[in-house]
Amino acid sequence: MTGFSAPLSAERAIATVESAARAGGADQVEATLLARAGEYTRFAGDRVHQPQDITEVLVRVRAVVDGHAGTVSTSRLDRVPDAVRSAAALARDLARVAGRPGTARVGDPAPATDPDLWHEDTAAFDAAARVGLAGRAMRAAGAAGGSAAGMIGRAATRIAVATSTGISRHAVATEATGSLTVATGTGSSQWTDLHRSSGALRTGAAIDTAIARALASRGRVEPAPGTYTVVLGPQATAELLGFLGVLGFSGDLAAAGVGVCATRAGQAVASPLVTVADDAHHPYGLPIPFDVEGTPKTRVPLLTGGVVGDPVTDLATATHPTGHAHTAREAAPAPVPANVVMDPGQATEAELISGVERGVYVERFWYTRLVDRQASTITGVSRDACFRITDGAIAEPLAGARFTQSIFDFLATVDGVGDVLQAQPIMNVWNGAVSAPAVRGHGFRFGVA
Amino acid sequence: MSAHRWGALADDTAAREIVEVALDAVDGRAEYADVRLVEAEETRVYRQLGAATDARVEHNVGIGVRVLVDGVWGFAALPLADSVDAATAARRAHALAVASAGTSAPIRLPAVEARSGRYETVVEQDPFAVSEDERHGLLSAALAAASAPREVVSAQAGVNAKRQHRHFGSSVGSRQHQHFVETGVLVLVIAAGHGDVQRRSYPNSFHGDTGAAGWEFVLGRDLVTNAARVGEEAVALLTAPVAPSGTADVVIGAQQLSLQIHESAGHALELDRMIGDEANFAGTSFIGVEDIGRLRYGSPAVTITSDPTVPGTRGSFAFDDEGTPARRRALVEGGVIRNALSNLDSVARTGVALTGAARADGWAYPPVCFATHVHLEPGSGSLDELCDRLGDGYYIEDNRSWSIDERRLNFQFGTEVAYEVRDGKRGRLLKNFSYGGITPRFWNSVEAVAGPDEARTFGYPCGKGEPKQWSFLSHGAAPALVRGLRIGVA
Repeated sequence: MTGFSAPLSAERAIATVESAARAGGADQVEATLLARAGEYTRFAGDRVHQPQDITEVLVRVRAVVDGHAGTVSTSRLDRVPDAVRSAAALARDLARVAGRPGTARVGDPAPATDPDLWHEDTAAFDAAARVGLAGRAMRAAGAAGGSAAGMIGRAATRIAVATSTGISRHAVATEATGSLTVATGTGSSQWTDLHRSSGALRTGAAIDTAIARALASRGRVEPAPGTYTVVLGPQATAELLGFLGVLGFSGDLAAAGVGVCATRAGQAVASPLVTVADDAHHPYGLPIPFDVEGTPKTRVPLLTGGVVGDPVTDLATATHPTGHAHTAREAAPAPVPANVVMDPGQATEAELISGVERGVYVERFWYTRLVDRQASTITGVSRDACFRITDGAIAEPLAGARFTQSIFDFLATVDGVGDVLQAQPIMNVWNGAVSAPAVRGHGFRFGVA
Repeated sequence: MSAHRWGALADDTAAREIVEVALDAVDGRAEYADVRLVEAEETRVYRQLGAATDARVEHNVGIGVRVLVDGVWGFAALPLADSVDAATAARRAHALAVASAGTSAPIRLPAVEARSGRYETVVEQDPFAVSEDERHGLLSAALAAASAPREVVSAQAGVNAKRQHRHFGSSVGSRQHQHFVETGVLVLVIAAGHGDVQRRSYPNSFHGDTGAAGWEFVLGRDLVTNAARVGEEAVALLTAPVAPSGTADVVIGAQQLSLQIHESAGHALELDRMIGDEANFAGTSFIGVEDIGRLRYGSPAVTITSDPTVPGTRGSFAFDDEGTPARRRALVEGGVIRNALSNLDSVARTGVALTGAARADGWAYPPVCFATHVHLEPGSGSLDELCDRLGDGYYIEDNRSWSIDERRLNFQFGTEVAYEVRDGKRGRLLKNFSYGGITPRFWNSVEAVAGPDEARTFGYPCGKGEPKQWSFLSHGAAPALVRGLRIGVA
């Protein structure tokens, strides 16, 4: 056992939310505790420039009166009783102003299993180990004539949910994160992965690969605008899959009749090789067994053999939600996919490349943004270790290039899927990750119209 | 009750004691230490057509301690329950700095003077004292107005406010207390029909608009009238012609231009980014330290200023998050780079001027370089006069999509609306307008900027750092005339 742990104890976390849920003052009460201890070794150039040790605790109380919910959160456990009273008062105010019953509710207990998400290797991944890896990356990159920047971290997350209807859930999970950018003159390469187990990151191998790729990508040439057969590395594939929520796989969009679940349910929009699910019990990414409303997470098929499946939902958007409530900041809450996983295939990345006569290999995309939801079109730029593919082999390195591309149009052309998954965080989504393999597809449009 | 008298940290004496506990815990063991003790509360009501209301109050209080030990930083943050936590945070920061030593040459900070003081946002009406009846009455009216056309399938209206006590203390003797109040508002409409989906927003397309002010910020936005307008415009866009591709002269509206400033000037001039500290996450910059004072970034019409002393913006303050007094600094003057957005660490490593741009998200994250209130200085004349000067081209406004590469060079933006301009007169509404380019070419193509009467300010959230932290900042602009822009790129 190591000394590293999530904030608070399981007993105190459960007691805090159960006490809040029992406090009364409203028709229904839901209390959620989110706590996280994170240590991050951030480095760049020749220094660890931002070592951080951050502990955060938040108790969120949602009280429901006549179908109207008020939510009050606090970082102080001694103020939780005040939060319950305030949430109930807010809900009463909402009910009074509305003048008619609302639809808000808390969940009901349901059978569930709680997987063991605690990994001792991550708990032992202390500052000395992380600084050692950071130093190794910086020294090796320097020896190769370049520089390295990145972040290596460990965290422990605790979540507890209790409701006045009888839900009482608790989970604790480790999280290991590694990311690295190596720059060598005009060449660069980037790696990011995260997992509950630090051992699964394979950080040492990732350092060696990133340096080799950065060296190989020096002397880049500008790719000519046009459409290409491409092999997307796992990070690039994950970037595309990260858009599935805003393309319609979310209960609020589906209810509004917007997006692919509303307009193309049951239809094939991607290749039969493309199967993607939101799977909170998958070993990759950041599995967690229930959401902030206490709903057990179910596996939600997003694309099965390329066919449009179901949206993820929360209590506000479904009678039987899938467990995807989202704690939104600076935005209205809507259910979001949180542990998106694409099924791997059988091919190695080299085998995918070997099947391309003329094409482009893309390590990752950058600053991708939705352009047209209807057409599933996004824009962004390719970045880092990108190469021309000639006669089935990696050829000269390519500079980053802007692209504007329909995601589903591309996924419909996929004819090869890699055998290795790699995970990326989903920005602004609590405990959010996308895990994807490399894919090969056609007609990918670089350049502008 | 004053909008500033709330919370456990309103009292300077009590807060000061906690700060001293943290500083004492590392006294004599670090060459520099600073403490940020923050209590924050947010309230918001978001209403959405056909959905339950999202009404929230969020409160947090905590402490972040940063130390420099033998030239190596350490940072630790804890939610605050009592003064023991303050000492614990300080000791953890120290331990982390010690554990992180040995990888580089030590940092030697520039001389820092002790600066103490208080600052409060000017608030006319406390947004936390506004009744639920008033908040919901306004949002109900806005939603009804926005969703009047039957093609509107989704409409959202919301108001929010945030207040925070920020106490700062450092080992050089600075002791500061700032109390910020922010208030914001948003309307977002989605219309569907004719095989298309279109969106319109008000008053800012990016998470609404927020300023350093009280409820008067909301009352000054004429929400219901503008909600009706954007609802109708979203519907009109469904059948509007698609904007063309090619090269064109364009007048870019204040909101879209404010985002262009954010992406291509604000981020590009963050000094930590320029020296590679953000290479793995937020990216780097095409602007180097050696470019300060030399690089022609834009045309002579382009002067971009960092000025947190301007009141009422989301980037307004008296001291940044490492205690540096706010000051007005030209970032780009007459098109030439003059300064970067810098903090103590980046200045120590480069020797360039300190501009007081260290910003942190509450207590839980270390300060990094972020924009303050960074704005394009207005020129002269009205928007109509600018369109007259344009002649034939397009007037565009309100961002719909945005993307820029990691060096802040190659960008592509889309706007919610575009209007054909012929002979200086605004004509047809067009949809799906997009434009792209290279940052210095774009800013060197700015022929003129409208005058101060056309200038507007917008509050933004933004992300940076690992783990990602949010920053809240502001950009201002008046509409500008840009020649030879590549359009229809999406």
